[in-house]
Amino acid sequence: MLRRLQRVPIHQKLMLIALLTTGGALLLAGSAIIYFNVVRFKEEMKRDLASFADVFAGSSTAALTFQDPKTATEILRSVSPRTSIVAIALYDNKGHLFAHWGRDAGVTFPPAPGPDGSRFTQSALVAFRPVLLQEERLGTIYLRSNLKELHDRVWTQALTVGFVFLASGIVALLLSSWLQRLISGPILALAGTARAVSERRDYSIRADRRSTDELGILVDAFNDMLNQIQRRDSELQEAKEALEERVRERTRELEQRNEELNQSNKELDDFAYIASHDLKEPLRGIHNFSSFLIEDYSAKLDDEGRSKLDTLMRLTRRMETLIDSLLQFSRLGRVDLAVDRVNLNEIVDEILDSLAISLKEDRVQARVPRPLPIVRADRVRVGEIFYNLIVNAMKYNDKADKWIEIGWRENPAGPPVFYVRDNGIGIPEKHHEAVFRIFKRLHGRDKYGGGTGAGLTIVRKIIERHHGRIWLESSAGEGTTFYFTLEEGDVRA
Amino acid sequence: MALLRRAGLPALLLALLLAVPGMASAQTAEEYEVKAAFLYNFAKFVDWPPESFPDPNSLKICVLGDDPFGGSLQTVAGEQVGGHKLQVVRMDSTSRLAGCQILFISRSEREHIKEIVTAVKGSPVLTVGDTQKFADDGVIINFILEGSKVRFEINTGSAERAGIRISSKLLQLAKRIVTAPGVRPGF
Repeated sequence: MLRRLQRVPIHQKLMLIALLTTGGALLLAGSAIIYFNVVRFKEEMKRDLASFADVFAGSSTAALTFQDPKTATEILRSVSPRTSIVAIALYDNKGHLFAHWGRDAGVTFPPAPGPDGSRFTQSALVAFRPVLLQEERLGTIYLRSNLKELHDRVWTQALTVGFVFLASGIVALLLSSWLQRLISGPILALAGTARAVSERRDYSIRADRRSTDELGILVDAFNDMLNQIQRRDSELQEAKEALEERVRERTRELEQRNEELNQSNKELDDFAYIASHDLKEPLRGIHNFSSFLIEDYSAKLDDEGRSKLDTLMRLTRRMETLIDSLLQFSRLGRVDLAVDRVNLNEIVDEILDSLAISLKEDRVQARVPRPLPIVRADRVRVGEIFYNLIVNAMKYNDKADKWIEIGWRENPAGPPVFYVRDNGIGIPEKHHEAVFRIFKRLHGRDKYGGGTGAGLTIVRKIIERHHGRIWLESSAGEGTTFYFTLEEGDVRA
Repeated sequence: MALLRRAGLPALLLALLLAVPGMASAQTAEEYEVKAAFLYNFAKFVDWPPESFPDPNSLKICVLGDDPFGGSLQTVAGEQVGGHKLQVVRMDSTSRLAGCQILFISRSEREHIKEIVTAVKGSPVLTVGDTQKFADDGVIINFILEGSKVRFEINTGSAERAGIRISSKLLQLAKRIVTAPGVRPGF
């Protein structure tokens, strides 16, 4: 019951409380009034019937004295106008029925008088009273009254109470529906304000304070809370805006820095390209004139001279390859990638085919454990990546049984990770970063097949242009694994 | 039934007149026991003026003429009524009637009824007769028989003249109420 009441709106609750309280109190009071009235009325009726009986007792004395039942009956009959009396009887002093009168034919009389007094039976009020003459008891008078009067009285009172109950209910309803606004009004207004605040996220709304009681205090507290929230909200807003401003500022700075960096990179690339391109021209002249010298003047030179010329030739050739590498590297920064779907298996197969003789000579076993995926990339550049890594793996290996493994693994957090693994000489940890520096060689110029030292630098550049990453794991003397990723996202498109 | 009663009443009267003395006396004894009780009971429903009691302690029932009670009146003597003790006195003449509160006039005095009534006129004496038409002659209460039942008639005019107040309850029981005091017109 109370639980169901929880869902009732507050103004109905208040009215219900008023009605129930009024109704309960009225019902109790009404019942008490009826009860006490009935009790009092019953006593009155008993007294009344007793004194009525006494009147008849008095008028019956002569009839009893002179043994005149006929007259006695006539006397008793005179009760008839009093409609509540249904039976009246006179008993002589021996207890014999002396005279009687009944309103209806079927009325019965007690065969002998009962004890003096009046009392209620189930359906009647009866009175036995002594008939006295000069303190001598002549007999007993008996009166029986029906309870119609009592029932009428109870009914009338019940009706009255019922009417009062109804009228009070209506008045209570009207009053409570008017007065409940004192309480429900501010609460509903407060609830409405709270809803508006939470729906619109507008903390500038204020509840209207109408009273100075606890509800007024509640409204004040609510408004105070709104004040605080509004203040914090605006502080937060300001902080957010300041932060955004700072982020924008930083972004602008970064963009500017990046722009500058790109610019300088480009300038560097341009410089490297122009420098190397322009350097090639005089180098070719030096080379050509050196070969002219060897061809035309070798007979005029002694051995030492010829040897120095040979060295000059060798140095110019080396210089040329260095410049070629530099050109290749600088071109990577200038040229756009031709991104397309690339089947890596084809790429790797081609490379292994072209290296087949070298692999055989060096007794290197190359293996691809499972097919490689299809990625979006620049076909030629990706080929360069694999070529350089495979060649490196072949070169830096002094084992009797050499092997290279080319594979990949899926990476749930990003693009697949490719790797090229060997069982070669390995790279000490302190050089893991240095191997990617241009023209950086860890070994003697002609050791492990020579080279310019630009390969890994170019590989890293290609990978970075594909927005990928390269790193390595190695332990000296046991082998090296180069890992790399290509463009982020779904590479198997 | 009505026819029978109409035919029966004169026959009954005739039978009473011709009744054998023995049979009559048996009935009479019972009748006068009742009448004695009535005399005593009348006192309870009658108020005399206070000055009518020379001896406030006693209430005198005087029997004038032949005593028909045969001793049954003696049984009520000594009873208390309204603070007075009943006394029964027999007398032959009307000379000393002044002290009586109740005067029973026997049938034997039927010839002198007029003189007796005249003698007690103005005195607070309850005259009680035992003879037909006595009430009309000015006797206050007169016994009559209704069948075998003793009843009485009351002359309220005489009672008023005597200064005696008779309770309405007693009047209620009277078979007949006579309002004219004294003798019947034309008597």
